[in-house]
Amino acid sequence: MVNEHGQLYTIEGVAAALIMLFSAYLVLGATSVYTPGDTHISDMQLEQLGTDALRMMNTPVNGSSSTSPLQDILYYNGVQGQFDGTGFNTLFLNYVNNQTGSKIDNAPNGLHYNATVSYYNIANKTTGTLPLSTNRNLTGGEHPVRVTEWVIVNKTFPGGGGTDFKPRAVLVEVLLWRD
Amino acid sequence: MAGLNDDAQWIVLMGFVVSFSLFFLAMLLNQSTLVGQTTAEGVLDFPKNDIRDVKNVITESSQYSSDPSKIAILQEDIKSLALSRKGAVVTYTIIPTSNSTDSHKHISIHYNNGVTEYNEYWTSL
Repeated sequence: MVNEHGQLYTIEGVAAALIMLFSAYLVLGATSVYTPGDTHISDMQLEQLGTDALRMMNTPVNGSSSTSPLQDILYYNGVQGQFDGTGFNTLFLNYVNNQTGSKIDNAPNGLHYNATVSYYNIANKTTGTLPLSTNRNLTGGEHPVRVTEWVIVNKTFPGGGGTDFKPRAVLVEVLLWRD
Repeated sequence: MAGLNDDAQWIVLMGFVVSFSLFFLAMLLNQSTLVGQTTAEGVLDFPKNDIRDVKNVITESSQYSSDPSKIAILQEDIKSLALSRKGAVVTYTIIPTSNSTDSHKHISIHYNNGVTEYNEYWTSL
């Protein structure tokens, strides 16, 4: 025998259950879980850091200087195929590790990089790459980001044709990672 | 069904209305997180630094615009390296001024990496 009393209580119970379920849904949905697919967020921060450092290096230090530190590093007295890797190492690590309260030594924040210079070989009509500097060998297990900076430098590159110094646009590429 | 009490029909109806509205609100919330995610990824994928960088080098190269042979080398460098190392088609033209009293430089810049296309007509200060 079905008793039809208490309908209001039943409805109230159903409404309360819905409200509780909805609250639980909201609470669970508000927590963010850091999934492997979200690594692009920290990648983006690292990429911005490296880009800013390279941009600072490619800016003349004051109004009286016509060349930027990065141009001087690449020029290296015009020695073909070589660059001032030590100077790049010091300046780049200074900039990327330049934080309040941090002691600047060899990568205190665990930042490592591998820098190369890409140029266009006019004679072969190919692009070549020359090593610039690195403070850690790439082992293949890293998860680096690539940051680049275009530099115009008055220097002869392989396949440049002749010895006259003409301005060349080269691409400084830095693989930057943290471990 | 003879003894069924048909009181409180309004309350039952309101209960349905409330539960359905809650359901649709939950659907909206669910969609909003998805939309936020795809929007954020779209912003991250935009090659902001590439465009700024290539614009920077192009405007810097315009200081050699008085020497066509130097500009030709720089243009070839930028075009080839952007294509082979950055996967982007970059072309630019330094537009000669028709008016002799115009001391500004005019450059038309094109950038296309297959996803993002960017065109700019740059005029020096």
